[in-house]
Amino acid sequence: MSTITLTSSDGVDIAVERAVAERSVLIKNMLEDLGDSGEAIPIPNVNEAVLKKVIEWCDHHKNDPPSASDDDDNRRKTTDIDEWDQKFMQVDQEMLFEVILAANYLDIKALLDVGCKTVANMIKGKSPEEIRKTFNIQNDFTPEEEDQIRRENEWAEE
Amino acid sequence: MVLSLNCLPEEILHSILCVSHPRSTAALEQTSRRFKNVTNEPLLWRYYCKVYYKSWDKKHAISQKLSEPASSTNWKQLFISRFHVDHSVARLLDSILASQTGRIEKFRAVINFGFDAKDTLVRHSRVESGEDHLARRYYARALLTCLHRSIAVPEWAKLRQGDPVPLERALAAFDLFIPETGFGDLDEVRVILDDIVSRFTTSCPDIDDLSPREKALLLASWLHENNITGMEAERQYHSLEHNFLGLALTSPGHNSLPLVSAVIYCYAAQKLGMDARPCGFPFHVHVIITPSLGLDMNGNALPGGEPAAPMYLDPFWGGQETAVSDLRDRLVFLGATDTEQSDFLGESSPSQIVLRCSKNILNSINSLSQAPESHTSSVDLVSAKYAALWSSMLLSGDSRPMDLRHKLPWLMELFATDFPSDIFLIEKHIVPLFEGLFEHEHILESLHVMRAVDGIPKPVHRRSGESNTIRYKVGQVFQHRRYHYRAIITGWDSECEAEEPWMRRMGIDRLQAGRHQSFYHVLVEDRSVRYVAEENIDLILPQMADLPQSLTMIAGKHFKRWDEDTRSFVSNLRDEYPDD
Repeated sequence: MSTITLTSSDGVDIAVERAVAERSVLIKNMLEDLGDSGEAIPIPNVNEAVLKKVIEWCDHHKNDPPSASDDDDNRRKTTDIDEWDQKFMQVDQEMLFEVILAANYLDIKALLDVGCKTVANMIKGKSPEEIRKTFNIQNDFTPEEEDQIRRENEWAEE
Repeated sequence: MVLSLNCLPEEILHSILCVSHPRSTAALEQTSRRFKNVTNEPLLWRYYCKVYYKSWDKKHAISQKLSEPASSTNWKQLFISRFHVDHSVARLLDSILASQTGRIEKFRAVINFGFDAKDTLVRHSRVESGEDHLARRYYARALLTCLHRSIAVPEWAKLRQGDPVPLERALAAFDLFIPETGFGDLDEVRVILDDIVSRFTTSCPDIDDLSPREKALLLASWLHENNITGMEAERQYHSLEHNFLGLALTSPGHNSLPLVSAVIYCYAAQKLGMDARPCGFPFHVHVIITPSLGLDMNGNALPGGEPAAPMYLDPFWGGQETAVSDLRDRLVFLGATDTEQSDFLGESSPSQIVLRCSKNILNSINSLSQAPESHTSSVDLVSAKYAALWSSMLLSGDSRPMDLRHKLPWLMELFATDFPSDIFLIEKHIVPLFEGLFEHEHILESLHVMRAVDGIPKPVHRRSGESNTIRYKVGQVFQHRRYHYRAIITGWDSECEAEEPWMRRMGIDRLQAGRHQSFYHVLVEDRSVRYVAEENIDLILPQMADLPQSLTMIAGKHFKRWDEDTRSFVSNLRDEYPDD
């Protein structure tokens, strides 16, 4: 079992099983291109806490079969998330978005997917006002604009 | 600053929106300017259109829209209009299930949405559970097949008018009548045929070096060797499913009658540039191939405009040329005159082929009725018969009113009992056939009665006073004491209310309790509707799984679901029998 070292943006070295790290397409490609020199790989966009969180996910999913094709429409339509992933994503919003950004940067498709679905589930069933509250969004519409947009979206109300 | 949703880059927001329901997207749009922009990407709404709705009515020209840049279509508006249709169809279906009154207009409203109604109907036709899932499945499926028939019937109507309809379309129309084929569109059959042609050209790349004759024979033997034409040895020749082009192309054995094999061959041969048409030889459709002008079948030039002799072959049996002298001998043996001979050896028009297919289907059904145990096929017999009657009535030609008259009662009976949602098709396509014939008034009258009956609420049967003595309830399952069939009770009268001649014919007064006992309307496992005296009812308490599929398939016509506790069906006829 070969091990590699990743260096987080805040300068912390983290040892990871190579197979786990290779859930990241970015790291996998780097290792393939550069060869495993034994030197630490810098991950400049991800801090220690987030990187550890991401590694925890990769470790749990290291034996997953490669995911089915990305364009599988039906797969993307559901917002079902498996139980372990749901628990894993029970973090504060800051961490959730950090993980999503890290998954995007490190190119870990399945993790990005879980992150997006988690956010989608947080939006689901909420009114615009509730969404603003949940995500701390500033309403920058004029009252007239707001009124017009509301009318345009009446179709979506039950 | 704390990281928030607002900080995510657009591509990630797009991914989030792709897994969100469009309604969530609509809510997010209203939160701020940034999200208004992000949620209005044409690509996003095109994606929603593709993912949420598979079937589109022709009027949208959806495949063309999808091939153009996303910005050239207002995808959001399109999605919203489909969303509205989806809801309208679901509401109409709910309302059809809720009351027996006014169903005809609701059917029509659904069918008027065309293929835009299909996704909703497909969804409801697959529900596995729920308070009224049997009824929901039944009516969704009835409307779905009505939608398919409203595509199939106009093809035959076009043929009737003399408009050109490609042979494979005219024949695929039969498949659209049969829900089990899984076909929902005529183009689907063509796609499969095109695929066969391209497989052939890939595996035989040098065909253009061959003479017309060699090419024709190579195609016939390739189709046969690849099991696409003909029939496996152990098959029952007259099996119902052998009549359907779509089924022949998609079922594992690809078994088909000579007629269907010939149509498959002709399609492929024409694609390859040959002039191949079905030939109307009796009992066994052949294929006739005419060489290009000025050439014979061997590719040699002919002197001075002399017409070249066509060649015949029989794709059902494979790649052997059939000598015209053999065909003539057989015709002479059958006693055909000279003119008949040249008719039989000539080309068959698509109309004639459709008519012939319709006769074959009726023959298959007849041979099944003589040996019902041999009906193992997946094809629904009633739907097949209905397809055969429609096509033969539309295409028998005005010169043969007897044929029309003969088949009308069959068609009308099937329509009234099994396919009442087709009333618009009957009005549009069958009624005009009888203009000037005395049946015209009869048909109009019966359609009028159907509408009138549909429009008024059913008389209410309460269990009080003398109806207190009625023993059995709507939804209970029984076995007939004398005839042993299984059936479901769909209604009752406190005594026999049939007409006098019927009672006499049925010997009602010879029953132990005579005519003054309760009588029940029942739905029988063979799909017939009967009227049964109480003394002949032997209640059974089956498990749902013990009931024949034929019965559970149609139970939804009158019942919401099966109730495991009472071992009976839950009535959807409460407007008529509120106490059951």
